[in-house]
Amino acid sequence: MQQMDQRELMTLQHYMKEYGQQAEIFVGQLEMLENGRMEALAAIESLEAMLSADDAVVLLQIGGGASVRAKVLEPDKILLSIGAEVVVERPNKEAVEFLKERIMEMEASQKKVAETLDRLRSQMNEINKRLESGYQQASAAGQDQE
Amino acid sequence: MFGGLKEKLQAVRDRLGSSIQASAAPQATAAAETVAGTAPKKTISPAGPTFSEKVKVLITDRELIVSEKDISDALSELEMTLLTSDVALPVTDAIIAHVRANLIGKHRKIGQSVDALVVGALKSALLEVLGTGFSLVEFIKAHDRPVKILFTGVNGTGKTTTVAKIGAYLKKQGFSVVIGAGDTYRAGATEQISVHAERIGIKIIQHQEGADPSAVLFDSVQYAVSHKLDVVLADTAGRFHTKSNLMNQLEKIRRVMKPDLVVYVDEAVAGNDAVIRAAEFDRTVGADAIVLTKADMDSRGGAAISIAHTIGKPLMFLGTGQRYEDIIPFEPAKVVDELLGSDS
Repeated sequence: MQQMDQRELMTLQHYMKEYGQQAEIFVGQLEMLENGRMEALAAIESLEAMLSADDAVVLLQIGGGASVRAKVLEPDKILLSIGAEVVVERPNKEAVEFLKERIMEMEASQKKVAETLDRLRSQMNEINKRLESGYQQASAAGQDQE
Repeated sequence: MFGGLKEKLQAVRDRLGSSIQASAAPQATAAAETVAGTAPKKTISPAGPTFSEKVKVLITDRELIVSEKDISDALSELEMTLLTSDVALPVTDAIIAHVRANLIGKHRKIGQSVDALVVGALKSALLEVLGTGFSLVEFIKAHDRPVKILFTGVNGTGKTTTVAKIGAYLKKQGFSVVIGAGDTYRAGATEQISVHAERIGIKIIQHQEGADPSAVLFDSVQYAVSHKLDVVLADTAGRFHTKSNLMNQLEKIRRVMKPDLVVYVDEAVAGNDAVIRAAEFDRTVGADAIVLTKADMDSRGGAAISIAHTIGKPLMFLGTGQRYEDIIPFEPAKVVDELLGSDS
C-alpha cells in the first residue's frame, strides 16, 4: 500500500468531520419524522375513541402536567391542518383517513432518509479504515526512525 | 423527486379527464332529442355556457363545451391535492383560477382527446406559477467579469455545500471560479469549504475563523480581478432575518463586495416554511434567485411550486443528492413534464 502523507490524513479527517455533521442532520430529520408519525398515530387513536365513547369526554392536557376532563361538543367535526398553513373542517372518519395517508408519506420519507444515512455511514466506514491504516503507517514510520 | 405530488397530480388529471368525458354523454343524448323537436326550454348551468348553447354547438359544429359543473368536483380535488402538498394558498388559488379559465367554455371537437385538453390546462397553469426559471450560465455570459454571486440563507440548509456544487457546475461549463470563505462565524465552516474547494479544484480565499467576512469577500473579488477570473462565489454564515447584528453584517458585505447576484438558499423539505422565510429574507436583504436543497428528499414539492410565484424571484437550482454533480438547473418546462408526463 502507498504511504499516506500527513496532508492526506488531515483531508480524511476533514471528510470524516463533514460526513459526521451531515449524518447528524439526517438523524435529526429521522427523529422529526418519527415524532410526527407518533403524534399522528396518537391523534388517530383519540379521534376513534372520541367517536366510540358515548359521552365524548377526553382528558385535556393544559400544561405543567395538569389535565382536566373535557367534553367534546362536536366529536364528528374535526379541524385539520392539511398543509400550507390551511385548516379545514372534516368529518371524524375523513380526518382519520387523512392522518393515515400522512403517516404513509412520513414512512416513505423515513425510508429515504434512512437509505441516505446508510450510504453516508458506509462512506464513513471506508474513510475510517483508510484513516486507521494511515495512523498505523505513521506510527510504524515513527518507530523505524527511533 | 416530488414523487407524492406527481402521483396526486396524475390522479387529478385522470379525474378531470373522466369528468369532462362523462359530461359529453348527456349532451349527445340531449342533442338527439333536440333534433327530434323536443328542445329543453330552460338552461341548467348558471356558470359558463347555457345548455341550449352547448346543444347548438354540438349539432352545428360537432363540438362539446366544458362547463363549470362538469369540472367543479375535480377542481376541488385539485385544490386539496395542492394544499396537502404544501403549495401556498395564493399559488393554489392561481393554479385553480388558471385551470378553470382554461377549461370552462372550451370547445372540444368530438373525438379529440380529453386528456390533451386537461394536461394542456394543468401544464400552462403550473408554468404560469413556476415562472421562467433562471439560467446562471446566461447570466454570467451577459455580465462583466468577474461576476460576483453572494449566497445567503438560514443555518443548516446546505449553503456551503451548494456553493461547492455550483462551483463544480460552473467549472464544468468552462468558467474560472474563486470561492470566498465568508462564513467565518460557524466553527469548522472555513475548513469545510476549503476541503470542498480542494476536491473540486477551485481556488479559495480564506482568513482566520472570526475574521470580518466583508474583508474575506473583498479579497476574493480582488483576487478574481487580478487573475481575470469569471466568477466569485461568496459563501456567508447562515442567519435568521430576525438577528439584526448578523443582518447588518450582511448589509456591510453587500456594500463592500457589490454582488451582481444575491442567491437565497433553503431546503425544499421545509415546505411552506421555506417560502415564508424566503419572502422575509427578500424583504429585509433582498434576493435575486433561489436555490432549494434536498429536493430529492421532498416528495411534496410545495416549496418548489410556490416559491417563485410567492416572492416573485426565480428558482435557479435544485440540490438533489450528496455528490457535487447532484445539482440541477431549474427548468420549469422539464419539471412540469416530469410531474404530468409528456404530452399525450
